[in-house]
Amino acid sequence: MTQSNLQAVQSEPKIKKKWKLKKESKTYMISSVSVLLFLLFWEIASQNEWINPLFISSPIEIVKAAVVMVQEVSFWENMKVSGYEFIAGFALAIFIGIPIGVFSGWNPYFSAVVNPFISGLYVTPKVALLPVIVIAFGIGPASKIVIVFLMAFFPIVMSAQKAMLTLDQNLIKAARTFNASEFQIFKTIALPSTVPFLLNGIRLGIGQGLIAVVVGELFASTAGIGYQLTSNGQNLQTDRMFVGVLVITITGLILTTLLGVIERRFSSWRPDHR
Amino acid sequence: MGTAATLQNLKLSTRFLDVTYVNNKTGAEVMALENINLDIKDGEFICIVGPSGCGKTTFLNTVVGLLKPSRGEILLDQKKIEGPGNDRAMVFQNPSLLPWRTVLDNVLYGVELQKQLSADKKQEAKEFIEMVGLKGYENHYPHELSGGMQQRVNLARALTVNPSLLLLDEPFSALDAQTREFMQGELLRIWSETKKTSLFITHQIDEAVFLADRVFVFGARPGRVVEVIDVNIPRPRDLHVKRSPEFVHLVDHIWSIIEKESSKQGFDNKGK
Repeated sequence: MTQSNLQAVQSEPKIKKKWKLKKESKTYMISSVSVLLFLLFWEIASQNEWINPLFISSPIEIVKAAVVMVQEVSFWENMKVSGYEFIAGFALAIFIGIPIGVFSGWNPYFSAVVNPFISGLYVTPKVALLPVIVIAFGIGPASKIVIVFLMAFFPIVMSAQKAMLTLDQNLIKAARTFNASEFQIFKTIALPSTVPFLLNGIRLGIGQGLIAVVVGELFASTAGIGYQLTSNGQNLQTDRMFVGVLVITITGLILTTLLGVIERRFSSWRPDHR
Repeated sequence: MGTAATLQNLKLSTRFLDVTYVNNKTGAEVMALENINLDIKDGEFICIVGPSGCGKTTFLNTVVGLLKPSRGEILLDQKKIEGPGNDRAMVFQNPSLLPWRTVLDNVLYGVELQKQLSADKKQEAKEFIEMVGLKGYENHYPHELSGGMQQRVNLARALTVNPSLLLLDEPFSALDAQTREFMQGELLRIWSETKKTSLFITHQIDEAVFLADRVFVFGARPGRVVEVIDVNIPRPRDLHVKRSPEFVHLVDHIWSIIEKESSKQGFDNKGK
């Protein structure tokens, strides 16, 4: 290889990176335009009454309603209730789901004990249990915490199990030749290996948990964003209803973005994440 | 250089060693190694070659303590090997580095597992990193290194536990031809600095002859020692040695033994 060839090869990644950045900002622009066009079409469709504005409201009306709502005490009360239900249920799912997933993936006997329940409940539509949950836990936050836990638990538990089943056997063999104990293998190989899988399970769990909060509150409640949605819907206040939907969407986006940041940090060593 | 060892400088010896394993599919007991008797002297570099399925890796796994002999025994420094121990360290075909640890922390991993971690060991680890030519890479992650560099880390990790016997399981077989030749030279340099008794397994005959004081040629089904070959090429050796008539003659000789062994098992070479 000649000197100039070598330089050409070395400078190649730089060019590629520049081009990639440009491409990224380009796709970002296209996405923004796409969303704006959609909102514009929505507004026009509403103004010209192509579709009854009572059903679809309009972006401007929604923004107006949002400005009013953020000044209401009841809106923040509802946010607090829903937030509490989600955080409590999700924290339970993490603190119970990760240990169960990790230990059942590690120990085949423990797995044999818990797996019938996990596989059975995994395919059960958890919302079908709502009537029972409400009877048992009432229409207050407790029943919502339970349904959030149930729906977020399974993605988390199963990702932890999967992580343990896909451990790099070469690493384990290497550790054994260095006279490693089972606990050392668990601590230094198994646990760190689970991190990317767990973050993925938590991402799925966030989506499920948010659904659970809303569905739980829609079904039976006295407060919360889902409760507000229902009462707004019953009063044909579609603009206020859409604000509620927007709040949930934005919450989900913020949480998954935050998780993405953590994910990149924790898996910087993974070649496929570079 | 005679093949008989006196008791003082005897490092590793196997006596009437058989290793059997149970085939997972058929449930039948298969004899992987039969009646292995060999003596390795302190400071020797030994290579084992043989056709695939001859049990060279099984032999290494038994010496490191992951497999139990079904008959006979292995003595290391006159002590019977009962399982993995701090007196042996292995360099693997696959680098087997923890991807979330830096080079330095990977090199210290073996010591850490053996609960020998100390400030002195940390200093030693840095010295071995320098010896294998990775000074300045202490805080890099494995994915930032080339295959050859990862194998250097693999080697430094094994050296840092200060084993009495160094085991190497085809450590260069996944590298490209050029890097492999270069690493062979590097290994000899490091070996001459550490004087570790080394047991190196390879399927490459020229690699074995280039590195070894003695080459054990294994035959297949069941695995056993067919011939022991003294390599009397003076050290230090550089890559030019590979073109000397003596070297070529030895490679040809070993190749003819392996060819004979392969044809004996029906020339299929299938499976292990």
